[in-house]
Amino acid sequence: MNHLLKSTSFVSLFLFMALLVVLPGCDSGEPDDDAGESELITRVTLTLTPMAGGDPVVAVAEDPDGDGANLTIDPIDLVPGTTYLGEIELFDGVNDEDITAEVEAESDEHQFWYTAEGGIAGRVTVAITDTDANDLPIGLTFTVTVTAGAATTGTLNVVLSHYDESPKTGTDRSDESDIDIDFPVTLVL
Amino acid sequence: MRNPSLSRRWLFPVVLLLWSTFGGSLLAQTLHGVVRAADASPLPGANIYLSTLQRGAVTDPAGLYEIDNLAVGTYEVVFSFIGYRSETRTVAISPGRNRLEVTLQADVVWTEEVLVAAEQESRLTVDTRSVAILDAAALDEVRGQTLGETLEHLPGMTALQTGPSISKPVVRGLHSQRVLVLNAGVSQEGQQWGGEHAPEIDPFAPVRIEVIKGVAGVEYGVGAIGGVIRLEPLELPYIPGTALRGQFSGNGFSNNRQGAAALYLEGVANRLPGFGWRAQGSFRKAGDAQAPHYIIPNSAFQEQNGALTLGYRRGAWNFLGHLSHFGTELGIFSGAHIGNLDDLLRAIERGQPSTIGTFGFDIGPPKQLITHDLASLRSRYTLPTGARFEVQYGFQRNHRQEFDAHRPYSDSLAALNRPAFELSLLSHSVEARFHHRPVGRFFGVMGFSGMNQLNVNGRSGFLIPNFRSFSGGAFARETWVNGDWQVEAGARYDYRWVRAWPRENGGSGDFVPRVNDYGSLSAVLGAIWQFAPAWSLATNLGTAWRPPSVNEHYNFGVHHGTAQFEIGDPNLDAERSLGIDVTLRHDGTSTRLEVSAYSTQFQQFIYLYPDPSPRVTIRGTFPTFRYAQADARLTGFDASVEYDLNRTITLGMVSSIVRGQNLDDDEPLYQMPGDRLRLVGHINLSGSKTVREPHFEVESALVARQTRFTAGVDYAEPPPGYHLLNASFATDLQVNQTPVHVHLSVQNALDTVYRDYLSRFRYFIDDPGRSFVLRLSVPIGAPRV
Repeated sequence: MNHLLKSTSFVSLFLFMALLVVLPGCDSGEPDDDAGESELITRVTLTLTPMAGGDPVVAVAEDPDGDGANLTIDPIDLVPGTTYLGEIELFDGVNDEDITAEVEAESDEHQFWYTAEGGIAGRVTVAITDTDANDLPIGLTFTVTVTAGAATTGTLNVVLSHYDESPKTGTDRSDESDIDIDFPVTLVL
Repeated sequence: MRNPSLSRRWLFPVVLLLWSTFGGSLLAQTLHGVVRAADASPLPGANIYLSTLQRGAVTDPAGLYEIDNLAVGTYEVVFSFIGYRSETRTVAISPGRNRLEVTLQADVVWTEEVLVAAEQESRLTVDTRSVAILDAAALDEVRGQTLGETLEHLPGMTALQTGPSISKPVVRGLHSQRVLVLNAGVSQEGQQWGGEHAPEIDPFAPVRIEVIKGVAGVEYGVGAIGGVIRLEPLELPYIPGTALRGQFSGNGFSNNRQGAAALYLEGVANRLPGFGWRAQGSFRKAGDAQAPHYIIPNSAFQEQNGALTLGYRRGAWNFLGHLSHFGTELGIFSGAHIGNLDDLLRAIERGQPSTIGTFGFDIGPPKQLITHDLASLRSRYTLPTGARFEVQYGFQRNHRQEFDAHRPYSDSLAALNRPAFELSLLSHSVEARFHHRPVGRFFGVMGFSGMNQLNVNGRSGFLIPNFRSFSGGAFARETWVNGDWQVEAGARYDYRWVRAWPRENGGSGDFVPRVNDYGSLSAVLGAIWQFAPAWSLATNLGTAWRPPSVNEHYNFGVHHGTAQFEIGDPNLDAERSLGIDVTLRHDGTSTRLEVSAYSTQFQQFIYLYPDPSPRVTIRGTFPTFRYAQADARLTGFDASVEYDLNRTITLGMVSSIVRGQNLDDDEPLYQMPGDRLRLVGHINLSGSKTVREPHFEVESALVARQTRFTAGVDYAEPPPGYHLLNASFATDLQVNQTPVHVHLSVQNALDTVYRDYLSRFRYFIDDPGRSFVLRLSVPIGAPRV
């Protein structure tokens, strides 16, 4: 009888432990709507204004989720024999915030790289016109020079290198690219 | 025997007749009882031997034994147990059940032979699978490193490294969700979602470690598909009057200037007989690790751990409570945080960090902050029949924060200093087991278990979705022991229900609940045959399964460090393993060996495969890897051999070979460890009263290049093979009658430049170079026996 009693108390102990396991199961674990939001560059805008005057060429690359699922990149039409004043803007669509100014504020840790590839290589030259406190290029403003010649196509690769691991020297890209976009470019007569 | 067919024809009916006539009365007698120590506590594991019949039995954990199928008559029965004087009794067996209780007197002098014999017995019959054991003494020689590094020296074991501070144990080519870590009886529930997530284990915990290699699903449930790492705390002192005792250990590593210290104390409460306690704490701090030619930037870490264990034994009851805390902050080599594929390829081409930094103890981003808290309560109740109940409740909270390499552009976001992601996993588990009383030669256990988990993300980015899961299982296992044979069989059923909250379209959209449930069987059949003195042969046939984990289902995003865009598959099915394992063990006077060959067939093995179309995002191009399933096979061979050349010199060899093949496309499995061979020479030097048992050891570790890989899939081909030379000297110094254990070693003595294939940073940096290591341990109070 004594042992029966002890067995009963043992079973109660187990049931109590089992209760500890089941009771916390009421919280469904459903995330809050605003959970998981971090900074994300979702929109990059290039504005190229002909130096001689005229309407600016505006091209937008947009990746609203940052995962490429809905990535759209506008094509750029440039006219041979024209020089453009360029500007680039970055926007975080998740937090609804323009972060161009932040890049400017941390310009000693950032540099844009513009590379003409394909048929436009050698025809399109990009020169960065702004510099940071160390007199190294930034790339928020630049000029785009298109030589005169035949119509052709290619891509303009735009990279934003982030330097907090290796120091910025102005000569090499870093291993941390914050953006890396290929804009299709057509030289139209 | 002139006509064998005729005699065989006659044999069966004659035996049947004899059996039916006399069998019942001739062999129906049993001898049973209990073996106790002088203080009336039961003695589990004591031997009972009938010399005339050459038959025996072993007492169960309640000290009970039973020998059946005895004929009526008089027998001489020997009762023996390690550390006790043997008792010989002459017993007259009368029809029916015969009871014989024996009390053994403690032997004042534990002779070495007795100890050796008992250890030999347990080594030969430890498991039907291959098992590698690190006891407290062996652990003292390797303490201060991560669990993966600690176990790396064992046959069949390798480590998946992410820099110097993170390493995951790999059992025969398998790791993470396929290897279960059992800490103080509770299955460790950490955040094991990637190769850079290491088990949260205190390297100084006073435990004994057992690695069970192969399928162990019946005893340990769904996680144990490839192996089990068991960390069992050392027994508490319970005997009243035991003086306060403990151990202080400290160590220093020259390479990363790691300093570590640990202390544990244990004792009893003399006013409360049956109560024992132990308190333990440890601290580690290390700076940047150094490869032979450069410092590995941001690889410093620090860790602080503590544990409290309380035990109480009274009558048939036994309670054991355990609380532990693990906390670490570790830096991750920043050069491994890669922007995109172009960046990765440039870093591989460069072959070394972009900046050669200076040594420091600072931990900057990227870094991980991890805590793991465990509380467990175990209770046992033994019935007078010898049957016993065990129940266990475990609570675990795992909290992981990972900080990205650079802070957000936005000042308002940066000011929050949020981790890139933050996960907290709460697990409640319960288990009940019932060990039936030994029936004849049968020992058995049945039980059931349940677990409830909740994983919640912090406010920052998502790595895996929030989820809630319930699991439950029931199992039964019987072992039959008869002389040289031990046979076991068991089965288990497990069920798991998971509701996760992934985003609707992978990376975007609303959070939507998705429910999956799984249920299936595990089974085991094994045998050990001690076919000659000091030799045994064991075999094990086991099948186990596991449901896909949440990351395999719902991962969606870039994996830092490898620039891989990983995509889970919500439709994955459970994977199943069927393994066979044959182990030969020998524990002779001059040779000890364990040689094991195995083959495990997987159905629906879950793995990552490269998708030919890369992912183009605003941040650049990433190679895409998707989770998929295929049949696979892992075959291999582990061996460890020790040979005493004479009383001075012992030679040792440890080898691990594993082959993994995807059977569906007939390609090698990714990330299988290269073949390994360790050669060890151990020399006992002559000691004195103050310098006891000095010994010197040289180790040569050879790792072959992994030549089995699918060309063109990985960013860089497997690195070349390498050779490391290690050496150590150890002794017990008598200082004021206290034996201070001193262990001095040098790792990678030749400062060899190498990269291991299982190092996740092999794309960027060399593995660490030479390190001098000093380890000290000082017993406090009377040393533990």
